[in-house]
Amino acid sequence: MLTLSTSRRGFMQLGATSMAVLSLGAGFASLSGCSKAPAQTGYKILRAGDLEFFAAIAPVILSGGYPSSLSTEAAQARLLHELDNLISTLQDYAQSQLIMLLDVVQSAPLRVAMDAQWASWKDASAADIESFLQGWKTSKIPIKRMGYGSLCKLITMCWYKQPETFALSGYPGMPKKINLSA
Amino acid sequence: MTDIIQRSPAIPVVSGIVDPIRAGRKAGWYMKSATEFKGGEVLEADVLIIGTGAGGGTSAEIFAKAGLKVLMIEEGPLKSSDDFKMDERDAYHDLYQESAGRMSKDGAMSILQGRGVGGTTVINWTSSFRTPAPTLKHWAKEFGVEGMSPEEMAPWFAQMEERLGVAKWEMEPNNNNAVLRDGAEKLGVHWETIPRNVRGCWNLGYCGTGCPTNAKQSMLVTTIPSALEKGAKLVYSARVERLIIEGRKVLGAEIVALDENYQPTLVRLLAKAPQVILAAGAINGPALMLRSKAPDPHKRIGKRAFFHPTTFTFAEFEHFIDPYYGAPQSVHSDHYQWQGITDAVGFKLEVPPLHPGLTSVLLMGHGIQHFQDMQKLPHLHSMIALLRDGFHPQSEGGQIELAGDGTPIIDYEINDYLWDGVKRSWLAMVEIQFAAGAKAVRIAHNDSPWYNNLEKAKAGIASLSSRSNSFTAGSAHCMGGLAMGEDQNRCLVDSYGKYHHLDNLHVFDGSVFPTSIGANPQLSIYGMVCRNATLLAQKILA
Repeated sequence: MLTLSTSRRGFMQLGATSMAVLSLGAGFASLSGCSKAPAQTGYKILRAGDLEFFAAIAPVILSGGYPSSLSTEAAQARLLHELDNLISTLQDYAQSQLIMLLDVVQSAPLRVAMDAQWASWKDASAADIESFLQGWKTSKIPIKRMGYGSLCKLITMCWYKQPETFALSGYPGMPKKINLSA
Repeated sequence: MTDIIQRSPAIPVVSGIVDPIRAGRKAGWYMKSATEFKGGEVLEADVLIIGTGAGGGTSAEIFAKAGLKVLMIEEGPLKSSDDFKMDERDAYHDLYQESAGRMSKDGAMSILQGRGVGGTTVINWTSSFRTPAPTLKHWAKEFGVEGMSPEEMAPWFAQMEERLGVAKWEMEPNNNNAVLRDGAEKLGVHWETIPRNVRGCWNLGYCGTGCPTNAKQSMLVTTIPSALEKGAKLVYSARVERLIIEGRKVLGAEIVALDENYQPTLVRLLAKAPQVILAAGAINGPALMLRSKAPDPHKRIGKRAFFHPTTFTFAEFEHFIDPYYGAPQSVHSDHYQWQGITDAVGFKLEVPPLHPGLTSVLLMGHGIQHFQDMQKLPHLHSMIALLRDGFHPQSEGGQIELAGDGTPIIDYEINDYLWDGVKRSWLAMVEIQFAAGAKAVRIAHNDSPWYNNLEKAKAGIASLSSRSNSFTAGSAHCMGGLAMGEDQNRCLVDSYGKYHHLDNLHVFDGSVFPTSIGANPQLSIYGMVCRNATLLAQKILA
């Protein structure tokens, strides 16, 4: 059983080990009531904080690929609903891992450990987000690398299958299909 | 960029296709969603088949032809050619396990596996190889598998090849496959044309999103319609939660209906039959056996799970590759596959189709680098190596476990033995890519830049880290988990697919393979199931 330490030093010591950081984070998150939040209206799984987090990191992950020919608002809505749909069909293990990951990134101790000056993801700068992503990508802790990989895979998959992005990749698109019964 | 946007290659319009499932519905075939039932019904048959992929589909036709009452239960939805729009959005949601987001426990291996009536045969890339002779011989020697020598299996493969139109692809390979052919040719690496299960293929390139023309001879358009015509029943959107087992008998199956979002509803059914066929695939099948607490004295359920862990390299060419168009797989090489049967891991070389959503995942990473790589798509080629796992003491495979709610967890690790093969496969592939004229190559690894010559690529590969989640490992071939063989300490089903510890349960799918196949597995499943289902039907009717 982990002893939860709310001091900055305590958290950073834990972060330096290969312990199950996500479980720890989930512990913090449930203390703060975060993981008990219901899904946002109109969404199946994702909660307000999750949507804010994904909306913040998407432009950094997708770079020049975002928002493509869509308005920022439309791009955000499209991406977030696609993410929600996909995540809702993940089975128990993958889905719960992902929810824990989302709890961790929204927990105050994570921000403290990152020396983050911002109070919520929507206030984070692109540079802050880039350094968060790089940190997880190159981490010695397997579960952080898994977190980085999962976030990138989910966001890029949900984005580049949208027809509005085809012109960006140079994909001329799929053949037209006309059904007899249509 | 602008030249790319303005390109408008000649793309055919797909029309005039008759959807055989919609036609069958009009003709009165018994096809019902489990949600159409009130709940509490008991469905009965002579043979209950759980799963409708390569194994379940093949079995259904054989039992129905033999005059037996067949009931097929499928967890996924019923989708057919009118639904197949060549659109990654619908296809992944409708036809793939976990919307194509299925992965191993540590997240390091992405798993493409089908879901729906017809299973993975609806979304595979049509490559159809007989089980390689060294694999069959290894099974006989190591696991005591009987009656499955290459000679004994040949007529069963021939029968299914005939049934499903398997023949070497006669058209020119697309540019993506031509890279493998041309590079291999230059290097003196042996390559061959791939046999495909198609009839009247339009060469479009969308096998992976459900064949829009019904040219692919998947179970959805061949054996399943044939069984339904003979009176077989199909209930889909129906998850078998548990087999009811008493002593050495399976008494029935508890079923829950799933809604359009694949979530369980309150509708529950029971299915009963004197003979039960498990054909739910190598992940969901072992998971069902674990949930059902099936007899397993040596704790072997879910063990020896194999995946052909697959590595990727990318290459950029001056000319257009258009890797999303044309028959996705038409050239392969076994040059590196059988250099030793049980030594360092061998691998088969093939080519994957690259549609933008899938490509974005395979490329890995984020930010400007990822975006620039995506912009190369029309000029991008990718090659894959399928590692032949399960033939060495250091390759015992992964394990299927259960999550708290009874769904499967796939525990599989790329260990040092496989990592050695990963690096050798990258090297072999970039050599071929450069020989074929690539401008630059990139390993599907977070730390790999683009290398503009072979020497740099070699040095680069030597320095890449083996850390999990730092490189793309994929799988489209789920095998094992209920190993076949006469050695009961290690194996769960006999050489005829009968579960050793139950009298009326047969396992007719790829979960019985005691190692990986060393080739795309669909024809291995068809041939073996054709044999085992035919012999079981004869026994039932005797």
